[in-house]
Parts: sequence; structure tokens; C-alpha cells
Amino acid sequence: MERQRIGVFVCSCGTNIAHHVDVDAVCESVQGMPDVAIASSYRYMCSNPGQEMIARGIQEHQLTRVVIAACSPRMHEKTFRGACKRGGLNPYLCEMANIREQCSWVHSDRLAATEKAKALTSAAIRRVRHHEPLESLTAEMCPNTLVIGGGIAGLTAALELADAAHDVFLVEKTERLGGNLARVDLTAPHLDSARDLLTERITRVRDNPRIKLLLNSELRNLVGYVGNFSATVRTNGASGAHEEKTVDVGNVIVATGYQEFDAGRVTHYGHGKLPNVVTSFEFERMLRTGRIETRDGRLPQYVAIIHCVGSRNKEFHAYCSRVCCMTALKYSHELKSANPSCYVSDIYVDMHAFGKGCEDFYKTTSEVKTLFLMFDKNERPVIRKAAPSDDCDMLIEVNETLSGERIEIPADMVILMVGMEARSDSGEVARLVNISQDRDGWFMESHPKLDPVATTTDGIYIVGTCAAPKDIPDSVAQARAAAARILGKIAKGKIEIDGVFAEVQDERCSGCRMCNELCPYSAIEFNLDTRRSHVIPAACKACGACVAACPSGAIKGRHFTVEQLHAQIEGVLL
Amino acid sequence: MAIRVNPKLIDELATYGAADVQNCYHCGNCSAVCAHSDDTFVFPRKPMRLLQMGLEKRIEASLDPWLCYYCGQCSTQCPRGAEPGETMMSLRRWLTSRYDFTGISRLFYVSWKAEVGALVLVAVLTCVGFLTYGFLNGNIAHYDGPTAFLPSSVVHVFDWVMAVALSLLLLINAGRMWWFTTVKNPRIRPRLASYLKALYLLPLQFLTQKEYARCESRRPWAIHLSLMLSYVTMLILIMFFLKQIQEGPAIAWPFHAFGYVATAGLLFGVIHAMRGRIARKEPHLKHSHESDWIFLVMLLVVTLTGVVQHVLHRSGLELAANIAYVVHLSLVVPMLMLEVPFGKWSHLAYRPLAAFLAAIHRDALVSQRTSTANGEPGSTSRALAAA
Repeated sequence: MERQRIGVFVCSCGTNIAHHVDVDAVCESVQGMPDVAIASSYRYMCSNPGQEMIARGIQEHQLTRVVIAACSPRMHEKTFRGACKRGGLNPYLCEMANIREQCSWVHSDRLAATEKAKALTSAAIRRVRHHEPLESLTAEMCPNTLVIGGGIAGLTAALELADAAHDVFLVEKTERLGGNLARVDLTAPHLDSARDLLTERITRVRDNPRIKLLLNSELRNLVGYVGNFSATVRTNGASGAHEEKTVDVGNVIVATGYQEFDAGRVTHYGHGKLPNVVTSFEFERMLRTGRIETRDGRLPQYVAIIHCVGSRNKEFHAYCSRVCCMTALKYSHELKSANPSCYVSDIYVDMHAFGKGCEDFYKTTSEVKTLFLMFDKNERPVIRKAAPSDDCDMLIEVNETLSGERIEIPADMVILMVGMEARSDSGEVARLVNISQDRDGWFMESHPKLDPVATTTDGIYIVGTCAAPKDIPDSVAQARAAAARILGKIAKGKIEIDGVFAEVQDERCSGCRMCNELCPYSAIEFNLDTRRSHVIPAACKACGACVAACPSGAIKGRHFTVEQLHAQIEGVLL
Repeated sequence: MAIRVNPKLIDELATYGAADVQNCYHCGNCSAVCAHSDDTFVFPRKPMRLLQMGLEKRIEASLDPWLCYYCGQCSTQCPRGAEPGETMMSLRRWLTSRYDFTGISRLFYVSWKAEVGALVLVAVLTCVGFLTYGFLNGNIAHYDGPTAFLPSSVVHVFDWVMAVALSLLLLINAGRMWWFTTVKNPRIRPRLASYLKALYLLPLQFLTQKEYARCESRRPWAIHLSLMLSYVTMLILIMFFLKQIQEGPAIAWPFHAFGYVATAGLLFGVIHAMRGRIARKEPHLKHSHESDWIFLVMLLVVTLTGVVQHVLHRSGLELAANIAYVVHLSLVVPMLMLEVPFGKWSHLAYRPLAAFLAAIHRDALVSQRTSTANGEPGSTSRALAAA
């Protein structure tokens, strides 16, 4: 093997590393190793002077490989690869030894930690000898986008993209646009009409020639990778007939929304048995038709609203559905304005009024004399029919926690604030577009805080309530965020693909197709002509599952070759 | 057993002055800042809650409103503008109407017109009565002597008849307060010894109002105490020394001195209260119920007509003095007859009684807790409920 000139740079990370690792001792220990040209330490390697030190070192000592003993590569590998590039070295000829997260932060014995840091650094030195210069690839970016779901999020995303003069295929499962929002009367906290919000969007979507609207349609298949997807959409005709068509898209926005919790599952609330126990959506229908009345056509004098139906409870869904609290307050306002002499009891667990303007809304709801009654979420209210001598239809018995009293609340109508849950077909959608779901069935984002609309599959975005319960402002913001992400990519014209991915060596592939099914990113195609598997670099995440599984050892993980890994293991052990 | 919520009560209390109680979201700031609230009597938060929920029986059984002296700290600190101080005031009005067995109190609080009408009616009756008596038995030109228009001996008897009637009414209502708060209260099982032990509180609270002094600002207490002592002084002079202060020509100096000091105290207290209610600068004077104004105006005109009558008498204008006396009596009688048992004035009995009963409740709760701790069965659930 040819001689290398390796530069080793050890970072103190202030005291983060230096407190438990003798950084100078690490330098000394590697100085005598074969091929090591220089070894030096610095207070903050990631700082500008630190990066400068690396770039200068490469030039002054004609380094051919660089090892940086510092933090996790997830933190600063990009930074140090950049420094190498500036020093004239291929960025993939750099290797990091993690002596912070996996060493100084988790050990308290300074001597032992220093020994471990030495071992990790020497492992990196042994490994980096085998690194190969790699180049990143590029692929074309198709400027069309597929949007799945015609609710407020889907409509907004489609408009945002179409307004930037790009084609959008908007696929909606039902025969009309608007989603769940179309079932709502007014919105909290400003009491704007949901219809007004939607009508403007829907009209613009219908009028925009860039948007190909596909109603009564479903995505049936999606193949390809970011920038180059091919989507098959089935449209159901009026007479049971259906037609399928395939469109080319560069990105996909999933905006499939939520479904309401089935109130009948909470048996003792009597939904479906007691005639005047209605769900929030059934009540919305009353509001939209302008007739708030009991089953026998009377104006209710006492209305009770029960929160957290199906939410915040281990039995059903542990999460908070986020919009029900403000919706309940909205009902109080709408009830009072429809019938000022009616009494509204708001039976809640906790009042979540976190959004902009929501705390004020909570206060104004108090001011219209809404009776707020708090209960413990582990002890649900019980609804029973009142006696004929009572001046109400039903009585709700509950332990009221603010007063400590066991009370019964008169009610002529009970509104159950049903929560949101993942749609029953969400598993199918997740499989089609190759994204993951959490334990509640919501689609999972790439990073909950820093990358909330992207998924682990490049080119697939999730917006609105298909990812988690959220309100209209958040859904709209996400729709626009995803559109902005896609527009950015379209503007670039090409997509850059990391040089690290798996490669099938055709001459060794037996065509067993084991890797095809195994790949979690659907990145491996099977070429029926050559009868060999082929990895699509743009879709590959370099997880290595296929490399390990291939019975012929035909798949090579670039930057994670067998030689590199063996050398690294030897370095740790020796 | 679940207790029925009455969402309508909050509307009823609005007529008693509780305008913003629905704004309360039970942060507890009011109780934290209150000098009188403690582990046993948690207010204003708890009564606010009971009122929002309309738990009438619980409010009826509560002493809390009477333990508040309305310094207004709670209202100042309230983040929601729920006016807990004013709510406590309204609850005192409501409780007064509940304690009153005749229902007249309730009528007065919900309709100021009814109250004014009743005052006018009693005033006319008094006026007619005294004029009739005067013209039949005396000479309107004579203030003193055997032909006096209104001899002190006659007025003295009238005063005592009225005092006994008023005391009886007030006693019955005070008895009802004890019944609601202590006897019928399932959470309190008082011991006889506690009654005896706390008995000293009745005269002590009546005369010193020392609970009031525990509020953060002591000024309102000082002013209220001076007003009350002036009134009591005047009451003693009238009830026991009417002859000495009414009849001339010579009036012994001690009666003069006490009379003048008491009059000055009454005038000062009433005018101060009225100015405060007009200026609305202090939290407890921001909201005035009609009944507050009726009470103050009556007290002012009664004091002023008393002064006029005295001045005219001392100036030797006997006819004018007699007319002023009839006017004075026509005001003082309706004021006492209606305000003492049915109006704001009834608190002269309820305040000391509440302090007395609070000590008994406290005692009972402590012993109930101790017996629970000792494992006495049966008392557990009640004591827990109280805790």
C-alpha cells in the first residue's frame, strides 16, 4: 500500500473534551504511528482559525489524509470536509474520531477516557488510509409536484407552487375540495367563517391552469426518487369505471389530513344512544344550517361541552388534539349569540389556549358567562337521563376538581369534543410514498424541530394534520414551508447526490433480489434485461442493510468498505 | 351524593352587584394576597367557585364572605378583572337576604325602588303619627315643659319599643345565620365547649372590629371604627339619656360633649364614605350598589336634621325646632326600621357573629381531623370533605 501523509487534529472543544481527556497525550500517542505526518491540538477545531489550521496543514505538509478527533460527525463532518476541500484535498479523505459524545461526555475517569480517545483516534488513522476520493453526483429535477389531499393544507401548497408557475397534480380522494375544514362553521379564535377561508382557495385552485385537479382520485403507485418520481393515479368514474394515468413529478406533498375519533367508543357518553349527545362535527352541521335544537326540535336551555373525547387518555389516544379546546370556546360564543338565554357548561381537563389570540379568546368566553368545570382525565363524567321533574333532559355527574365537589350538571344537549386521529388509510399512504408512521399512525418528519415538513425519504413532504393534530395556521404554514422547500430545489435545477451510497458490482450479483425487498428506501431496482439489481444513488441513504445482506458480497458501501471497517476495528482493538 | 349545579345563580347575583365573577379562572392570587384567608377559610377563591357553579347550599353554609373586610387587594391583584372583593361584597348582600326570614331584604336588594318606596311609606306614617300625637297632647310652639309638642318621655318609650322590635328581628336573622352555617352544615360538628370558649369574641369584635384591622391598609378600619363608635355613643345617649339631651334649657356638659363628638364622628365618617364612592379611587369604593347610596344618604340627612333641630332648640326657636324634630324622627325611624334588620346595617350583628362562629368552626375542624387521625371511623369522610 502506498505511503500516506496523515494529519491528525485533536480538538479540546473548550473544556468539553479537555476536561476528561488529555488532548496532548492523544497527540503524542499518535505521533509515532506509521504515516502520521503531523498531530496537533487546538481549543476549537470547528472555529475559523481551527479550520484554517487544517487547510494550512494540508498544504504545508502535503497531507493526503486528515483525521479529526473531535465531536460526532453528525455535528461537524460537513464543516471539516469543507476545510479539507479548501486545503485542496478531496473531502471524503477526511475521517472523524468521536471523542466527545462517545468519550469525554460519558466517562468520568480521565485516564481511562484518554486511553479510549487514543484508541478511537488510532482507529480513525488506520481507517482513513483506505479512504478513496469520491465525487457527489447530480440528477435532473422535474419541476412538477404531486399534492395528495385537497384540504386547506393541500390547497395552499398547490396554489403556492402553481403561483410560481410550476405544474401541480392535486389528487383528492372525494368528490369535493375543502377536507375537514369544509365541515366547520366558524373558526377560533377570531370567529372567521371557514367557508370564506376555503372558497377563495378553492376558486383559485379551480381557475389556475397550472393545477391539474384530480377529484375522486387516489395515488396507486409511486416509483423513482427525488426529482424523478413517476406517480400512478386512479380516478373513479361515475359508473364504477375508473381510469389510471401516470405522471412525472419531482416532489410529493402528502396532505391527507385526519379523521375524527369515533365517539361511540367511549361507551358511557352514550353517543348513538342518548339522542341529544352529539359530536363536535354533528354540532358544526347544526351551526351551518343555523338550527341548534334538540332531537325533538326544542331550543336547548342548558348545553354542556365535554372536552378530550378520545384524546389525552391511555385507553384511546394519549396525545392532545390541539384544536378542540378553542373549538369548544367557539361553540360557547356561537351558542350565546344564537340564544343569549342559554347556559353553557364547558367541562374540561386542562384548557390549552396556547395559540396567538387564544388566551384572550378564553377570557372573552368567560366574560359571556361560560361555566368552566374541570375534571380529572382519569375520571370521566357520566351522562344519564334526568327525571321528568327536572328542568333538563340529562344530568352529567363528575368530580369537579377546582371545587373538590361531586356535582351534577344539567344539560339538554351534550357536545362531545372528538379528537383527531390518523386516517384509517394512512398506513397504505405511508407504504406508497415510503415514509414512516409513529405509534399513533401519524406520518413522521425528518426532524421534529429542525425539519418538520420533510421526511426521511427525499422529495416526500408531509404537511398539515397528517403529521400530527394541528390548527389551520400551522397547517397553512407547513404547506407553504413545503412549497418553499420544493421551489428552492426546482430553482437549483439539479439535485446533488452525496458520494456515499451503495453500489452493486454487476459481475458478482446473482440476481437473487434479496436486497430489493430489504431496502427501507426502495432504492434498489431490478433490471429485468440484465437480471441484476441496481442501486439508485439519489434514493440510497447508505444505511448498509443491503451490503450486509447480500449473500454474494456483491454490494459495496462506498466510504464504508470492508477494508475501511476492518482497519477501524483493528485500530480500536490494538 | 352529587350536588346540583345551578348556572342561573350567577345571573341572580348580578343584581346584588357581582358583575365579573365569571371571569375568574382560579389562579388563587386573591386568596394568596388576602390577610384573612388561611387553610381553613380559603377565600375569595372558593366562594368565587361556589358562586360560578351556583352551589347555593354551600354558599349559604359559608362564613367566608363575612370574614372579608374588603380592602380590595384581591381585586387589585386579579389578573382577569374578576373583582373578587366586589363578589364577596355581593355575597354578603345575598346572604343578608337569605338570613332574613321576611323576604323584605331580598326585595330591597333586587329593587332600589322598593326600598325607597318603603322608606317613604314608613317616613310618612311616622310623620303622621308624631304630628297627631303632638297636636292632640301638646303645643307645637313649645319644645320643653309640660305642654311640649314631643315630650322626651314619650319619645323614650317609643325608642325602646322600636329597639326591642328591631333586636328581635335581628336576633331571628342572626339565629338563621347560625342555623345555616353551623347547625345544618354537614361538615361541621361543633362542641359546646367551643361556644363558651369563643364567646368573648362577640363583644370584642363588635367594639374593636380588630379583624378589620388585619387588612393591609388600616385606614378604612380606623374610619369605620370611628363611625361605629360615634353611632354607638349616640345610641347610648338616645336610649338612656334622652331626657338629658333633649330637654333644655340647660344641658349638662358631659352630654353636650359626647353628643358633639359623636355628631362630628358621624358626619366625618359619612362624608368621607360618600366622597370615596364618588371619587372611586380605592378598590373597595369603585362599585357602589344602590343600597350603599340609600344607606349613606339616609345616615347623612338623619345626622344633619339632628344638628338642625339641636341648633334651633339652642337658639330658642321652639316652633322651628319642633318641626325639625318631626322631620328628624320621620327620617331616623324608617332608616332604623328598614336598614337594621333588612339592609346593610344588619352587618352589625353578622360580622361579630361570623368571627365567633369561625372560631367554633375552626375548633370543630381541628378536633374532627384529630379524631380521624386517631382512626375514629365514620368521621373520616366528613373531615376529608372539609379538608
